[in-house]
Amino acid sequence: MKNTLGLTLLLTAGLAAGAASAQMTDATEIVEAANKASYYAGEDGRSAARMTIVQGDGSRQRRQFTLLRQDVADGGDQRYLVVFSRPADIRGTVFRVEKHVGDSDDRWLYLPALDLVKRIAAGDKRTSFVGSHFYYEDISGRGTEEDRHTLIETTEDYYVIESTPKDPDNVAFARYHTRIDRETLLPMRTEYQREDGEVYRRMTVTEVETIDGYPTGTEARMEDLDSGGHTVTQFRFSEYDVGLPSRIFSERSLRNPPRDWLRRE
Amino acid sequence: MRWTSIALTLAIAGMPLASAVGQSSGDDWGDDPWAQEQTGWQWYGFIEGAVAPRLQNDPAVDNDYTLGETRLQIEGERQFGDYTATLKADAWLDGVEEGGRGDLREANLAGRLTPQTDIRFGRQIITWGTGDLVFLNDLFPKDYVAFFSGRGDDYLKAPTDAVKLSWFGDVNVDFVWMPRATPNRFITGERLSYFSPQAGRRVAAPPEIDPRDRDQVGEDSEFALRLYQTIDGVEYAGYAYHGYDKQPSAFDRDADEAYFPRLSSLGASVRRPLLGGIANLETAYYHGEDGNGRDPDLPNDQWRWLGGYEHEPFSDITLGWQYSLDWTQDHDALIDALPNGQRRYAPDEYRHLLTNRVTWQGQRQDLTLSLFTFYSPSDEDYYFRPRATYRFGDRLTGTAGANLFGGEDDWTFHTQLEDNSNAYFRLRYSF
Repeated sequence: MKNTLGLTLLLTAGLAAGAASAQMTDATEIVEAANKASYYAGEDGRSAARMTIVQGDGSRQRRQFTLLRQDVADGGDQRYLVVFSRPADIRGTVFRVEKHVGDSDDRWLYLPALDLVKRIAAGDKRTSFVGSHFYYEDISGRGTEEDRHTLIETTEDYYVIESTPKDPDNVAFARYHTRIDRETLLPMRTEYQREDGEVYRRMTVTEVETIDGYPTGTEARMEDLDSGGHTVTQFRFSEYDVGLPSRIFSERSLRNPPRDWLRRE
Repeated sequence: MRWTSIALTLAIAGMPLASAVGQSSGDDWGDDPWAQEQTGWQWYGFIEGAVAPRLQNDPAVDNDYTLGETRLQIEGERQFGDYTATLKADAWLDGVEEGGRGDLREANLAGRLTPQTDIRFGRQIITWGTGDLVFLNDLFPKDYVAFFSGRGDDYLKAPTDAVKLSWFGDVNVDFVWMPRATPNRFITGERLSYFSPQAGRRVAAPPEIDPRDRDQVGEDSEFALRLYQTIDGVEYAGYAYHGYDKQPSAFDRDADEAYFPRLSSLGASVRRPLLGGIANLETAYYHGEDGNGRDPDLPNDQWRWLGGYEHEPFSDITLGWQYSLDWTQDHDALIDALPNGQRRYAPDEYRHLLTNRVTWQGQRQDLTLSLFTFYSPSDEDYYFRPRATYRFGDRLTGTAGANLFGGEDDWTFHTQLEDNSNAYFRLRYSF
């Protein structure tokens, strides 16, 4: 049974990949497909993640966490649970998100030393995620409707998309360019530019593995070209379609994380 | 406090600094975090040096410091099937109370009793309610001595021995049984001075406030209940408590000692997103032993209200606002029952409290600057908590801040602490 299922998944993924490599010409369609490939693989997912944060002066910090994700609707709302295990001062902190597309996310933070469940204001999604060079938005996805997208180039391997914000007052960038792999539809490089075209922030996917039939970026690097610092995020033990029950995305899991579902298989 | 203690504190606090700087660029995950998950006990902890000089002389306390200590915390965790055992213990050299001290903060077993029920059994920290440093329905013990004297926010909540059962269904239920009453770690005069209505001035130990114990297991039980559910992003909760006042607020004239009177409470709260921020509303009715308010040696019933709003108007800046009201019931009866000289010390019928929190995070959250302000227009007093925290790395964190009290009348909640105003410095090395 399990083998049959695996084969079916492989075949389906093969079909999907086959369809993907046919040339697309509509920028919005490409961006939405890339958004789904990056953030919506499978019905749900689990992964261990490790971040290495390197400042401009060479000093390093680390973050380690396990990420559980469930899609409410493909390309739409999602539920996240992030359980931190390192470093010592944030160990046991749990972050819970109900992501709403086109509306503010609901976010909770559990601080174990005080047994405190704190609800966090929606706020700016373009601020550092747990002290790294990645933004909250880089982790959970930026709404495709927040920018205007233009296909500026199609090479043998990539679609190159230029995106400009509909509300430029809310963001620091004037535009960003994304290179999307035509085969996997994963965004492989995103460069954020200022008004004069200077690139000041760059995200690069440096490793891709196919997991459960889904091409997955397993290592990504975010560079802050102003300060010279960068963060490398590595994903390991990733799995999709594990059958996470909805009920684990709840306050219960903040105080008592669902160990059965956090365990690596 | 002796200078030797401070030198010792700084010397011990400085040791990890040297080693942290030495290895800050190294690859020090210690074990291989990508290997199979840990089994057996895992140990963590920190060493912290802290010092808090008073910013003025306190005529009642013969000590220029509210805090001077070197602290070691060890935390252990182990999985036993579906259960997690947690131990957390502190030991410290105390320069204010002169000697070694220890505190077992957590020793509990937590896990799934049934698919719908969780249990946590043993010594633990319990928190609920919607306030930010203002507590209405959270009648679990607090450590105000730690909070006012310059220790970390982690120490505001004191541990309690309890069985906590949590049932998850259409309505979630938390039920807590504390087999013996656990009061707040209240001001006894040992470290901080306070206002004594009997003496009519600020005093400190000796004599220490030493209320009658409430530590008979079973007989001095306390119970707390919470019902809660989130519907469309709105969090609703109802609360009940039956136990004892956490402060020694009653006085037995025959025995000439303070004690913890009975206290029951009922309350409710709601918390929801509003205009891009988070709004909360909470209420609690405190019912004690003095139903008609005529006994001046017992606190009257109170109806408390709290409204709050927190938002992020600019990137990396969070603003929090709260208004709370303590409405003392049968206030006229209380005033009539008090002797003339004591009347001015009685609580106002309506005590209004405003709080504000400003937090700014910079340098990718390595630097946090914050100011928390308590201001009571009715008591005409204030309490400022400015603070700067810097994360030098994953292991080393430095904090500098102050506890500043003041106001109009010596006997109000915050003004009485005026001579304890302090600046504090803490350095913590985590491992």
